[in-house]
Amino acid sequence: MQSFDQDAPTERVSTPPPMVISALRNPKNKVRQSLGDSLPLSQPEMTLPYRRSHPSAASLYASTFSPPGSRSQSPSGRPLSTRTTSSSVFGVSPNNGLALAAGAGDSPGDPLNLILRAFVPHVATYCSEDTDLLLKEKGFDRGLWELLRPFGERIQGKVIIRDSNGSSRTYEDYSLQFTRFGEGIVHPEPTTAGFKNSQVSRANGVSEKPNDPVRLSRTGNTIAEVEAVVNKHLSYAEESFFGVPHSPPSHGFGMGAPSPYYALYLRRLLSTLPLTPHETFAHPVACVMAISSRNQTPIETLRRLYTESSAGDKRLPNWVDGEFLRYYVLVHDEERDDITRSMSLFDQMKRNLGLHCHLLRIRGTRSLATDDDSIPLPRCEWMSAAEELADLRKTEDHEGFEDPTKYIFESDATAIRTFIREMVMQSIIPTMERHVSVWNDQVASRRRGLAGRFVGLTRRWGFGNNSRPSGSGSSSGSNYDSLGFYRSDTPEAIMRKLADYAFMLRDWKLAYSTYDILRGDFNNDKAWRYHAATNEMAALSLLIMPQNLSSKMRAETIDTMFEAAYYSYLSRCNIPYGALRCLVLGLELLRLRGGSSIDDAARWGTRLLESKMLGPVGDALIKERLAVCYASKDGIGTQGWGSRRRKSALWNALGAHTWLAQSKFIQSQRCLNEARRMYSDLPTGHSIDKFCHASAFMLNIGQELNENMGGADKEEDETSGEESEMVDEESEALGGRRRRASSLGFPAGAGTANLESAPLRSQMSDGEVKEEEEEDDDDDDDDGDEGGEEESDEESEEEEEEEEEEEGSLERGQERRRGQNPGDAKDDFG
Amino acid sequence: MSYYFVIVGTEDNPLFEYEFGTSKAGGDGQARFPEQARHMNQFIVHSSLDIVEEDQWGTGQMYLKCIDRFYNNYVSCFMTGGNVKFMLLHQPPSSSVSSTANNPRSSTSTIATNPTSPQTEEAVRAFMLEVYESWVKTLMSPFYRVNMEVRSPIFRQRVAAAGRKYL
Repeated sequence: MQSFDQDAPTERVSTPPPMVISALRNPKNKVRQSLGDSLPLSQPEMTLPYRRSHPSAASLYASTFSPPGSRSQSPSGRPLSTRTTSSSVFGVSPNNGLALAAGAGDSPGDPLNLILRAFVPHVATYCSEDTDLLLKEKGFDRGLWELLRPFGERIQGKVIIRDSNGSSRTYEDYSLQFTRFGEGIVHPEPTTAGFKNSQVSRANGVSEKPNDPVRLSRTGNTIAEVEAVVNKHLSYAEESFFGVPHSPPSHGFGMGAPSPYYALYLRRLLSTLPLTPHETFAHPVACVMAISSRNQTPIETLRRLYTESSAGDKRLPNWVDGEFLRYYVLVHDEERDDITRSMSLFDQMKRNLGLHCHLLRIRGTRSLATDDDSIPLPRCEWMSAAEELADLRKTEDHEGFEDPTKYIFESDATAIRTFIREMVMQSIIPTMERHVSVWNDQVASRRRGLAGRFVGLTRRWGFGNNSRPSGSGSSSGSNYDSLGFYRSDTPEAIMRKLADYAFMLRDWKLAYSTYDILRGDFNNDKAWRYHAATNEMAALSLLIMPQNLSSKMRAETIDTMFEAAYYSYLSRCNIPYGALRCLVLGLELLRLRGGSSIDDAARWGTRLLESKMLGPVGDALIKERLAVCYASKDGIGTQGWGSRRRKSALWNALGAHTWLAQSKFIQSQRCLNEARRMYSDLPTGHSIDKFCHASAFMLNIGQELNENMGGADKEEDETSGEESEMVDEESEALGGRRRRASSLGFPAGAGTANLESAPLRSQMSDGEVKEEEEEDDDDDDDDGDEGGEEESDEESEEEEEEEEEEEGSLERGQERRRGQNPGDAKDDFG
Repeated sequence: MSYYFVIVGTEDNPLFEYEFGTSKAGGDGQARFPEQARHMNQFIVHSSLDIVEEDQWGTGQMYLKCIDRFYNNYVSCFMTGGNVKFMLLHQPPSSSVSSTANNPRSSTSTIATNPTSPQTEEAVRAFMLEVYESWVKTLMSPFYRVNMEVRSPIFRQRVAAAGRKYL
């Protein structure tokens, strides 16, 4: 692991000088941090010197703005550093799942963490009118859902889950996703298109409303929306050029922390999974039925809500299991209503409706920022791309757009947290565990083992088919009827639900074995959507499982599963979203396994690029990601044999080129710097510059960047000159391998480059600094025998500085350099 | 099919570069790389050195076969005893071209269209061996030192001849 001061010389776009930050810091920052350990808003919010739009817009961009990148910088957040080096030739421990288990959940931008937090139980909310009214007065136009949603993203305290073997595990980072009841349903396209209108609506018992805007927005162009959101974030960063507390050069060796934009891309891709028949993650696990204390006929209203949710117009289509948990909530208005009356009503509710009840006491008035005990409502991280896009557009339209941050009373926040925690611990998790064990015993266990295979066979040949409860449907002997889905009571649907529940409860083993059985079934039934989704999840659960996989197993199982999922998604069902999700997640999980899996990961990444389904932003992000992916493969020995540094540098260079074409200069600069750093780290002295066309290409990019960013550099240089020297000295003391080259040459860039580490360093606690030092020491010990090589490193670095100076006259510079370098001359002329 | 052949020294420095096209199946021996592929070819070959460094320890052969792929470019490698690598990047023509030009001659077109087929591997091996022979002869020059660029026109001719003969 290289300490990051090594990155300094080449890094230019970076954190602003501290004085700029402090001068411009928003007064809002003084808000108490009580709201949350890790919520983005509690980070100091940066405002920007040069910006057109209203300052409050910054909070909308907070997700890429500061937290993910900067936080993963902490030494503890490196899941990969524990990994042993390996490769197919040099070591035979190509995958250890240990890193997966250990590193999960440390850094919020970490892809594994994102995966864990994307596939979580969904809880629907369904409220009476009076509750909606109460919350509207409180300032939440979209009802209880809007209030609860941010709190579901992080459940306070530990959550204990028992897996199918009866052993308990605790998780710190469990989360929920709140949805609105009956929203985001994506209906399957019937296999025979002609039947659509007549049959589907009849069979579902749901009147279809084709013009419902919510439905339309969810079904279609999700990828385009995700791209648009990320693009807006990027443009915002470009506009506000150097106010950006830009993510530090986090792409170190083996570190693999994603850029905030990539994390955002993934998060938007995974947030708000559509409610579809072929996967049940978005099917509600529970539904919160809420009434308020203002209601005159509380028990009747609750009964009405119940009936509406299980029958009638609003009920979910018949491929959704209707037997989800109902959780009754009485929202008590502390200010206007009598608590004794509410208490007695709550007792009555418990008597009538069972134990799944809660009394939520909140204050009914709107909280303002100026209020004494108000805290900002954390911004929801997992909103859908469409929603965020709408928010961002609104900001652009109105110049005087008011601060989107909402405020709530601290007591409310505490009440809601307690409520959610209680609901999860006492109702949702136990219910899910019970379902899993029941379904496992009654449905899935019949299909396991030898007997299970026979059942599968007989089913396939059409006799002895006794497992189908209802005779309606098709005549082909399978439960997959012509409507294009399995009804919720068929064994296939139940097993899929079992597997998904197991996945959400993080019982990977059970999930995998169930998915594995289902794969075959869906294949036989030619239910391609189901087939694709099941293959995808089977591969993912197998990869998450902390267990070593032999490369043979990987080639045989995982590759075939991804292949099947990819092909089914893309060619058979035309769901590019699914294919994209599948491959991106596969790439990330394979990368985390390290060793030779990284080559597989890169292969799938290249496949993704070849498929042409990505937009320009996604394309660039994936290229950047491939570079990180390759960089996280460590080599062996002083020569780094078996590492993929050249490949990583290549992809960084390509990424820089792609970003440049979209005029995203900051990103481009970062990629280019990363590429240069990779090339200069090569054991051989001259990086790629002996290959004339390739190095000219790199120089061209750098030159173009300088032209586009040149003006800005000069201004910043003035403010930062002194600062840089100071920092330079300071870090000299820390790491022995510091390069002096940074303060010479490279007029504008070097100054700002050093600054980049300045604010970070000053914030760092003593402990962290110590750790750093220790690490540096370790580094030195490790590298003790390669002193000569380091020198050559530095040489090449200096060469690069020269390059920078001479970029203006490219050919001349190259010639001169060739002439200057004594080693080269000898080579040339013998 | 277009080929880009480069000999890479021990310091990742190119010693000899040569572009040519296939001479089989009615090809005219001209490389058909797009203009912007100039630098890409170099990038690709350079990045494949990573794979070479790993694969060279896994086999006792000097010919490592097709080791890497980048989109539609395939890279074969031949290691010499002095840690000098012969890298051959082959790029099959895009499908539209190949269907018109190569279909009638099915027997020879396998080399041109399928870079991973055994025939292609064999052809590349023969090519590499022949180049190796001339390479060793060139190295015998008393004025040659390690990692020096080879500018000899005779060597270039020989490589071209080998390319015509086998690829």
